[in-house]
Amino acid sequence: MINIDGLIDQETGAQRRLIYADQAIYEQELERIFGRCWLFLAHESQVPNPGDFFRTYMGEDEVVVVRQDDRSIKVFLNTCTHRGNRLTRADRGNTRAFSCNYHGWAFGIDGSLATVPLESEVYFNEIDKNQFRLVPVEQVDSYHGLIFGCFDKDAPSLADYLGDMRWYLDVALDAMPGGTELLGATQKVVIHSNWKLSVENVCGDGYHLGWSHGGALKATQSGDFSGFTVGNSSVDLEGGMSVAGLNGNSVLATLDGVSGYAFYPNPTLALKYLNENRAKAVARLGKFRGEKLWGSQLNLTVFPSLQFLPGLNWFRVYHPKGPGKIEMWTWAIAEKAMPDELKQQILDNELLTFGPAGLFDNDDGDNLSACTVQSRGWRTRQMPVYTNMALGRSGKRVGLPGDIASGVVSEHNQRYFYRRWQEHMQAKDWSEVPQYNLNSLEANDEQRAVQTA
Amino acid sequence: MNSVLSKPLEVRAMLPLEKHLALQQHVFFEARLLDDENYNDWLGLMDEAIRYRMPMTERRFRKDRSTPLAFGGGYIFDENKLRLKMRVDRLLSGLVWAEDPRNKVRRVIGNVEIWQGAEANEAEVYSVVSIHRSRIDGEEKHFVAGRRDVWRETAQGWRLVVRDLLLDTSVVLDSNMNTLF
Repeated sequence: MINIDGLIDQETGAQRRLIYADQAIYEQELERIFGRCWLFLAHESQVPNPGDFFRTYMGEDEVVVVRQDDRSIKVFLNTCTHRGNRLTRADRGNTRAFSCNYHGWAFGIDGSLATVPLESEVYFNEIDKNQFRLVPVEQVDSYHGLIFGCFDKDAPSLADYLGDMRWYLDVALDAMPGGTELLGATQKVVIHSNWKLSVENVCGDGYHLGWSHGGALKATQSGDFSGFTVGNSSVDLEGGMSVAGLNGNSVLATLDGVSGYAFYPNPTLALKYLNENRAKAVARLGKFRGEKLWGSQLNLTVFPSLQFLPGLNWFRVYHPKGPGKIEMWTWAIAEKAMPDELKQQILDNELLTFGPAGLFDNDDGDNLSACTVQSRGWRTRQMPVYTNMALGRSGKRVGLPGDIASGVVSEHNQRYFYRRWQEHMQAKDWSEVPQYNLNSLEANDEQRAVQTA
Repeated sequence: MNSVLSKPLEVRAMLPLEKHLALQQHVFFEARLLDDENYNDWLGLMDEAIRYRMPMTERRFRKDRSTPLAFGGGYIFDENKLRLKMRVDRLLSGLVWAEDPRNKVRRVIGNVEIWQGAEANEAEVYSVVSIHRSRIDGEEKHFVAGRRDVWRETAQGWRLVVRDLLLDTSVVLDSNMNTLF
């Protein structure tokens, strides 16, 4: 195992650039992060009917998510138990069986080995079909429609893994009856970036927005109600917050209840929806979340690799493909209660801003690739990089879980992301992984009182 | 992939030879405008009613039985004139750092078929576009797409009314698509 101790320095906010380039570190990530954490697999809305399947990845392991006849979800390694061929080659579909292209073994949607060609003639009926069932993912669970899987049977429950992050996730997932759905096909893009750089770019980095995306902001911004300016010429630290200290999960939030829709060429329909349903959201979420967070620009990150932004309405998971490459999978996310016209507009706008040819997304790829490639240099990789902005300027806010810094331009969340990375990489199993939900609501009556008031 | 772009073989009228050649020339000229980053001139060739579309591509079994997606698969591009202008404005803003220094881009338009369109003053043009982008150091990126265009002849010349594109990969292999097809 690699000695991780000196690679992240919480005191100075420094990371060694080795962590973006080193193959051995990457192998350890596959085992200790992607092999251990709960990973997003699919949304319930993507596999609505029995036999529906969706092919995805957990780290570099290919898995297939399958809706069962009893409507439960099972997840299997997408690999034949005979000679290891890939089972399904479609991105998604509906089937009664998965047949292997190699020798024709066929598996039921419950993972059982149903058919072995020439079973009596060449196996003499001696094959124990039970032994050759598809390999299931150890734990599968869902949270408000989001299906997660975990390879580690000793991992905490999904609910505990998400911890107090659920309080923020519910703003996006449970503000309205019926929850959410993902729209459109999977938008897949290869970026030659280390996966951590892509995550940190969104989990906490509001700093890059005005600068990296200057051209896109100039072309798209329909209103000045977001607190972001072209060219980073000004910033509003009071209008937002960076929330971390939640087991590696984090939130960036503006607090005006509308700015999620700031980058719509015409946000009229979205603003009308927010206006008409505000009281309902407040009734379900309470005053602070219903008024200040629902409709705001939120960047929600579930460690290690799920991110979604209600408002801009993209929903994304990163699949690592080696230390210097990822596949980025994106969908649009909408509340089921939204009118069809708004859902269509959300899908259109998501594709315009963060799709494969997205006006914003097309600015990020080159920066992240270059940060990755630079870290390969022998001399360069010995250097640290920094997330030291506003170090030590965070704290408790009454009524809100987490350790909170002012504004969305801060590097507070990235520091917690790397802290979590280090904790997992150092721990040999879950018993050594510290659990923390800072300033937890449950633990604090005063906070609960404010919340229910 | 061709199912979306191709129609079954049918007897179809060609344009008069001179018109045929003029339109073919125009299609190559359009590609050169984009290669040269003359985006506003290019935008001028787009009809006010332009529909410029490239759907998301998925790998599905030929006999797929699953329920179609409620709002369709979505589009990589689904542009009207306003949105094309937005893309052009961004590219010309001077703030798209990934395009400075300039990436050299060359389009090859091939397999051009020109047919009489549905209206007397329209032509339907099938082609393949191969886009080569030379980026930093030795990095080279490549997109190949099928195209089906509808061009309309106006007093000002040929204007593009429809462009349907199909990208040949289900995974986009470039970190940005700061380019037009």
